[in-house]
Amino acid sequence: MKNRALILISVLMVLSLVLAACPAPAQPAPEAAAPVEAAPTEAPAAEVVAEPTEAPEAEPTAVPTEEPMAEAGCPADAPSLTIWADNTRAPVLSSVGESFTAEFGVCVAVVEKGFGDIRDDFKVAAPTGEGPDIIIGAHDWLGTLVTNGLLAEMDLGDKDADFLDAAKQGFIYDGALYGMPYATENVALMYNPEIVTEVPTTWTGVTELAAQLEADGIVEQGYILQQGDPYHFFPIQTAFGGYVFGVTDTGYNAEDVGIDSEGSIAAATWLDEMVKAGHLKADIDWGTMHAQFWNGDAAMMITGPWALPDTRASGIPYAIAKLPGEVQDAQPFLGVQGFMVSAFSSDPLLAQTFLLDFVATEETMQAIFDADPRPSAYLAVRDKIDDPDLLGFAAAGANGLPMPSIPAMDSVWSAWGDAETLIFQQSEAPDVAFQQAAEQIRTAIAEK
Amino acid sequence: MGRAVNSRAGGAFAPPVSQTGPTLLSWVFRLTALAIIDGIAIWLLYQMFSDGVWQLGLAIGIVTLLLNLIFLREELYPLRWISPGLALLVVLVIYPVLFSVYTAFTNYGDGHLLTQPQVVRLLENRRFLAEGATLFDYTAYLSPDGTEYALYLEAPDGSEAYIAREGSLEEATPGTIPAEIDGFLPLARADILRGGHTVKLVAVTFGDDERAFQVSDRQLGKAAEFQQRYTYLADEDAMRDNETGIVYRPVQGTYTGEDGSTLTPGYQVVVGTRNFERLLTNPAFREPFILVFLWTIGFAILSVATTFAAGLLLAIALDAPEMPFQKLFRSLLLIPYAIPAFISVPIWVGLLNPQFGVITLFLQDIFGVTIPWFGHPTWAKVGIVLVNLWLGFPYMFLICTGALQALPTDIYEAADIDGANIFQRFRAITLPLLLITVGPLLVASFAFNFNNFVIIDLYNQGAPPMSGTPSPVGHTDILVSYTFRVAFSSGRGADLGYAAAITVAIFLILVVITWFQFRFTNMLEERSENV
Repeated sequence: MKNRALILISVLMVLSLVLAACPAPAQPAPEAAAPVEAAPTEAPAAEVVAEPTEAPEAEPTAVPTEEPMAEAGCPADAPSLTIWADNTRAPVLSSVGESFTAEFGVCVAVVEKGFGDIRDDFKVAAPTGEGPDIIIGAHDWLGTLVTNGLLAEMDLGDKDADFLDAAKQGFIYDGALYGMPYATENVALMYNPEIVTEVPTTWTGVTELAAQLEADGIVEQGYILQQGDPYHFFPIQTAFGGYVFGVTDTGYNAEDVGIDSEGSIAAATWLDEMVKAGHLKADIDWGTMHAQFWNGDAAMMITGPWALPDTRASGIPYAIAKLPGEVQDAQPFLGVQGFMVSAFSSDPLLAQTFLLDFVATEETMQAIFDADPRPSAYLAVRDKIDDPDLLGFAAAGANGLPMPSIPAMDSVWSAWGDAETLIFQQSEAPDVAFQQAAEQIRTAIAEK
Repeated sequence: MGRAVNSRAGGAFAPPVSQTGPTLLSWVFRLTALAIIDGIAIWLLYQMFSDGVWQLGLAIGIVTLLLNLIFLREELYPLRWISPGLALLVVLVIYPVLFSVYTAFTNYGDGHLLTQPQVVRLLENRRFLAEGATLFDYTAYLSPDGTEYALYLEAPDGSEAYIAREGSLEEATPGTIPAEIDGFLPLARADILRGGHTVKLVAVTFGDDERAFQVSDRQLGKAAEFQQRYTYLADEDAMRDNETGIVYRPVQGTYTGEDGSTLTPGYQVVVGTRNFERLLTNPAFREPFILVFLWTIGFAILSVATTFAAGLLLAIALDAPEMPFQKLFRSLLLIPYAIPAFISVPIWVGLLNPQFGVITLFLQDIFGVTIPWFGHPTWAKVGIVLVNLWLGFPYMFLICTGALQALPTDIYEAADIDGANIFQRFRAITLPLLLITVGPLLVASFAFNFNNFVIIDLYNQGAPPMSGTPSPVGHTDILVSYTFRVAFSSGRGADLGYAAAITVAIFLILVVITWFQFRFTNMLEERSENV
C-alpha cells in the first residue's frame, strides 16, 4: 500500500509538472491575470467615492469595454503606449493615436473605461506593471495617486504658456506638476431670463429679489439651493470672504481650516436668514433643485455645465451669469480634467512626448472640446468658444479655485455638509454649526 | 479565481469507488483529474508568488493540499462529496476573513499601497538637478551597429557645448551641430520615437566621472547633469537624500527623517495593534459611540419585531382555510421581497419627500400635518423602520407560513376542548411553538439588521446630523455606517487597515450579542420541551 502511494505521488508530480510546464513560457494569458488582479481588488473595493465626485457625477460613465481600440496594423515589437480614457475622449485619442502610429510607428492602445473607474482600477493595476502609461482623470485624484506614488512628474516645456493658469494650478501637488489639463468645469448662476430681468450682483440682492418674486407670487422660490451640499455652497462662502483651506506657495495648507473664518460664518448667517425667511427650503436635493427650475417654480440656482443638456431639453428659458459676490467676487471650485503619466510606465519619455507633441495641439484639443463641450484648458481653443452658455461658465470660473486635492479634503466634505444641513433644518445656529464643523475637521486631520 | 475553483470542484466528479475498493479505471480517472487540478494550481501558485500575492497563494496551496489528501487517502475519500464545498469555503469565506484580520494589523491603505521593494525602486529612480545647473538641448547620435549612443549638448544660451559619449566628454564649438561623431549618425526627433530609442536613451549615462549627463525623461531633447535623489542604504534600511543629506529611516512603513519629514509613498507593513489602539483612544470615535450603539441595537430590535409581527399576522390570516384567493395573496405579498432594496428604498424616499412626496402631500391634505421624514431625528428613525418593515415583512411572512403549517393540530383540538379563546391559543400554543423553529432565524435577522448598511445609506446616509459631536455623525447612523464614515473621512484617503480593525471590532460585538441571543432561544426550546 505504501509503495503504491509513493508511485502514485511520483506519477502525479510528473503529470502535474508536464501540465504546469505547458503554459509557463507563454506570456501570462489574460485568464492568468484575472485571478492575480482579483486579490488586491478585494480590499480597495471598499474605497469610498468621496463627495467631491458628486458634481462630476453627471459624467457619462459608459459600460467599460476593455477592448483596445487602435491596435490594428501595429508591429509586435514596436514601442507602445496604453491610454485609459472615458468613452467621450477615447475615440478622439484613438484617432490621434493612429496618426502617431502612422508617423512614428508607435502603437497607441486606447482602453475605454468609465471615468469614475479609472482612478480605482489604476491604483490596482499600476503597481503590478500592467497598468496604462497615460490616464485621463480629474485633478482632485492627485491626493490619492501622488501619495501612493503612482504618478510621474510632468514638464510642459515650451507648451507651458498654452494652458490656462488656473488649470495648471489644479495639477500641481506639493509644488510639482503631475498632469496636462484639457478642460475645466465650474458652477455658475443659472437664471430664468423671463423672470429675472436684472441679475443680482450680490447675495443680499438675491435675498431681496427672492422676497419680491415670492411676494408677487411669480415663483415658489426666487433662489433655490440644495441642502447639505458644500460644493454648491462654496461660491457663496467665498463671496462673503470665507475659505476652506488657506493657500501657501506649494498649495493648500491643511493646517489652516477656514470653515469657521469670519467670512464663512457670514455666509452661513446669510443662509440661515434665507431659511428663516422661507426663501430656502429644507430637504431639497440636486434632482429637486433642477426639477423646480425646469418647471419654472424657481428662478435662480447654482449649477454646472453638466446640467445644460437636460435644461435645454426642458424647454425652460435660461441664461448663465457670473456668480453674485458680496464683500468680494465669488470664487467657485474649479474642477480640472487632464492627462497623467504613470510612474510605472516603462517609457515615460515616450508618453510625455506623445502628450506634448500630439495632444497639446490646437487640433486635438479642439477635437476633445467638440466631443464634449466644456471650457477647454488649452487657451487657443478656449478663446474660440462662441457658445454663450459655455462662455458664461468660463467667465464665472475665471477666478475659480482648484478644488483642493490634498487628502485632508476627505475629512472636510461630510462635516461641512452636515453643518449646512443643520442650518437648513434650523437645528443649530449658523455660527455654532460652522464652528463645530471646523473643530470636527481639525480633529480628523490631527488624528494619527 | 473562478476558473481555479471550478476546476477543483471538477474533482468531485471523479467516479465513485466501488464497495470492494478502487478499480484501475477509477484510479486513472481520479489521478488524471487530480493531475489537472494540481497542474493548474501549481501554475496559479507560481503566478501569485511571483506577483507577491502570497496570502491568496497560501490559501490556494492549502486547498490543493487538502484535495490531494482527500483523493489519495482511502479513509478520507468519502469527503470527496463535500470537497467542492470545502474548497469554496476556504477560498471565499475563510481566506477573506483571515485576510481582513491580517489587514487590521497592517497600515494598508492610501499612502501605503506598495511593497517596500517597489517604494525603494520608485524613490531611487527620482532625480534632481542641482541649483543653477543648465538644462542642455541635445542631438542624439547612434552608432552604426545601433547599440551605442552619443550626444551633442548645447546650452540654450549658446555659451557652452559638449560631445558626450558613454564614458567620455569633450568640449565642442557651440552653434555647430556635428554631422557625425566618429561614425555615429544623428537621430532626428522622429527617429528617436520611431526606433523606440526613448527607453534606451533615458537609461544611459553620458560623460565622464566628473560630469555625467542624462537625458530628461519628461522632455524630449533636453539633457542635464541629473543626480540620483535618494540612495537606499541597504545595511541600515534607510534612504539618504543626496540633495540635502538627510537620512530617512522607516517608521511604520514610512521613511521618516529626524525632523519628522517623510517621503511619499510609504509601503505596506505590519504595524501591530496600532489600528486598534487608534480606535480605542480616538475621542472622536468614542464619544458618539454609545449613542450610535444604542440606536443600532434599537434599530435591529425594532426591525425584527415589526417585520416579525407583520409577517406573523399576515401568515395567520392567510393560513385560515376559508380565506379566498389564498395563493394569489401569498404570491402578491412576496413582491416587496423580490424587488431589490436598491430600487424600493429610493422609491420610498421619493414618496416621503417632505416637499413633493405623495405621502407627505396626502398627510398634509387629510390631517394638515407635515412630517419631516428626513430632517427630524425621531421621524427619520420612524421612516427608516417603516421602510425596513416594507422590505422585511415578506421574509417573516414566508417563514411563519411554513412554520405554522408544521404545527400539530391535535394541541389546538385539546385547547378547543379546554375552552381556550383565540388569544389564549395564540399566546400559549402558536407563539411558543413557532418561536422554536423561527427563533434562530430571528437571531439571524437581528444580526443582519445590525449591519444593514444598505438601508441606512440609501435612506439618507445617516442624516440628520447630530450637533456638537467631535466627528461628523448622524442620528440614524448605525455602527457600520458610522465606522464607514470614520474610516474613510480620516483625511488620509482610504485607510483600509483602520477600516479592517473596525470591522473586526464590530464582528466581536456581534459575536457577543448573538451568543446571548442563542442562549435565549435555547431557553425557549427547553421551556417548550417541558410543556
